[in-house]
Amino acid sequence: MYSLLGECRALWQARSLLWVMTRREVAARHAGTAAGVLWPYLQPLLTVAAYYLVFDVVFSMRLGDNAPTHAVGAFLVVGALPWMAFCDATSRGMNSLVEAGGILQKNPLPPVLFPLRAVLASSVIFGPLLVLVALAYLPRHGLNASMLALAPLLLGQLLLCALLAYALAILTAALRDVGQLVTFLLSVGIYLSPILFPLALFPERWRWVLWANPMTALVLGYQNVLLQGLWPQISVWVVLAAWLLVLAVLLNGLVRRSRDQLVDWL
Amino acid sequence: MNAKHVELPEDLVLRVRDLGKEYKLYPSPRARFKALLTGAATHRSHWALRDVSFELRRGQCIGVIGDNGAGKSSLLKLLAGTLQPSCGTIERVGRVTAILELGAGFHPDFSGRDNLYFGGSLIGISPERMRELEPEIAAFAELGEAMERPVKTYSSGMTVRLAFALVTAVQPDVLIIDEALAVGDQHFQKKCIERIMAFRNSGCTILFCSHSPYHIRHLCDAALWLRGGQVAQFGDTEPVLAAYDLHTRERQEREQLALEGAVAPQMPGHEEEKAREATASPASPVAAVDSGTACILSVDVKDLAEPVGDQPGLLQSQDLVVTITARGRGNERPHIGFMIEQSKGVGITSLATHEDNAFPRQLPDGSWQTVLTFPELPLHSGDYVISAFLFDETGLAVYDEWFQFLHLRFIFPKPLPGLVRLPHHWS
Repeated sequence: MYSLLGECRALWQARSLLWVMTRREVAARHAGTAAGVLWPYLQPLLTVAAYYLVFDVVFSMRLGDNAPTHAVGAFLVVGALPWMAFCDATSRGMNSLVEAGGILQKNPLPPVLFPLRAVLASSVIFGPLLVLVALAYLPRHGLNASMLALAPLLLGQLLLCALLAYALAILTAALRDVGQLVTFLLSVGIYLSPILFPLALFPERWRWVLWANPMTALVLGYQNVLLQGLWPQISVWVVLAAWLLVLAVLLNGLVRRSRDQLVDWL
Repeated sequence: MNAKHVELPEDLVLRVRDLGKEYKLYPSPRARFKALLTGAATHRSHWALRDVSFELRRGQCIGVIGDNGAGKSSLLKLLAGTLQPSCGTIERVGRVTAILELGAGFHPDFSGRDNLYFGGSLIGISPERMRELEPEIAAFAELGEAMERPVKTYSSGMTVRLAFALVTAVQPDVLIIDEALAVGDQHFQKKCIERIMAFRNSGCTILFCSHSPYHIRHLCDAALWLRGGQVAQFGDTEPVLAAYDLHTRERQEREQLALEGAVAPQMPGHEEEKAREATASPASPVAAVDSGTACILSVDVKDLAEPVGDQPGLLQSQDLVVTITARGRGNERPHIGFMIEQSKGVGITSLATHEDNAFPRQLPDGSWQTVLTFPELPLHSGDYVISAFLFDETGLAVYDEWFQFLHLRFIFPKPLPGLVRLPHHWS
């Protein structure tokens, strides 16, 4: 884990620069628009609102008995918003190094800043939205202790995105095809998770496939807390920790092998 | 970042030891990907630099020379910290600024000011410090109101001016320049050179990479010659440049021989054609008087016969008298240079007014003229080629050059072989 620690140290030393870069990244996403900083927030918010309107208000669709809730719209929103956040952070982080090639070749900066900047910019946008959704679900179960579990869940998602985005960014730098493949995986990944359908609806034999999606555990955790008012089940924490550990080990190896040549590949 | 900031003895600002840079060349990106995942070594190694060691003192100005692919750019990038060395160490003190490629990293949708603050934070200038520096930067870049406009509306010259003003806003301890002197218009080029000279005079160490021996000779007090990624010579400018010059000539000769061996029959005609092209292009010089840029207007050789067919014109006098007329920039008094070489481009002598403490005189129409006379031209019979140069008043910026633009033939009446008649006496 020595290489990864080095990266963390570089991040800490450049923390003020990282924050400047993050703010600028958020600004760059809406540069030249009239609504300005509202746009990055409006887009996911409008999508989520559409789910609610279509499924719960217009069609009033209902889920079966095994589902954590009966309203389809309410169920969708809890899984879809974290998934959007995950896709946004991962895909932007993945392309961040290749896009920053020009800057990295001209300035002595640690490459790790760029995927981290992309992930942080995503979380600056989606973090408040997730909190907003959590507040909207508050009336269901009142204020109870399970809400505290949101903090480690959100932190876990941030960490997961950071590790995955940096690892994918290095892989994309080595082979551009990775970007294409992952974009495809992100678009089908929503079907391999309990976001559109409750976990109970998946055939028992194929349920293990869902755990290959790093977001499955987190989505189940959000559903436990927001829909049922329960502390997330133990399997959520175990699988999340396993994913973080595997990604950290993988990333450590990638950083070690690519360290002195990464910038040449961009 | 491998370059360590350390305490170095006395006035050393940079110490490089056994520096090496290996580029791992993979047959395909797929092989690179596989190597990244499995750690298997399938690459071919290319050592762009190997065993490079040297030390720089405060206030030194070093010129880095070498053929293409000798590792000059890799060395500068390693020193600047944008590349990671494969082995060896770089120890340095204080602030290192690199002028590698200007304007990279500007976001086109943001205003010049916004890009200035962001670019500043990339090179370690905090927003508070930038607020103090901003008026000076804006003045130097001559952007004025344009600072508020998005960078995408800038001309390339404006972008480069802003970028140069930004990177040189704070005086560094080591300044690394990769042939970036040829930026912007003449006026801005001159400002760039002046700023770099000011840095140098106040004790900044400069590492300067150029293909122009002229600039290296004038700016640098030491030269570093890289050959095949290794230091061929490091020391006083003149001996290193002389050795490099010899090496270049030998290489050209080898290439020439190889070429002649390959296409022997067509060769003579081809050569003549090239010579004619060189003669023809500047022979009709720009006559526009008021386009504002400094340039050479005319170069006249007295008593030179018209060229006949493929043969260069014959000098019909024993004196070589060259009249060079040029347009200067504003009221500045320019300097004029002259070079004569053998027709294949081997130098014989070059002269310049600023080196001889001479000054061109101003004609009534504002242009500048000088008459260079070689009485009893001390050359043997042969074909020669001349070049003319126009400099600014410091003799540093080259405004214009007519390089090898006129071939001439000179006949020395005595039938002795040789090239130059040196001052001599018999006793």
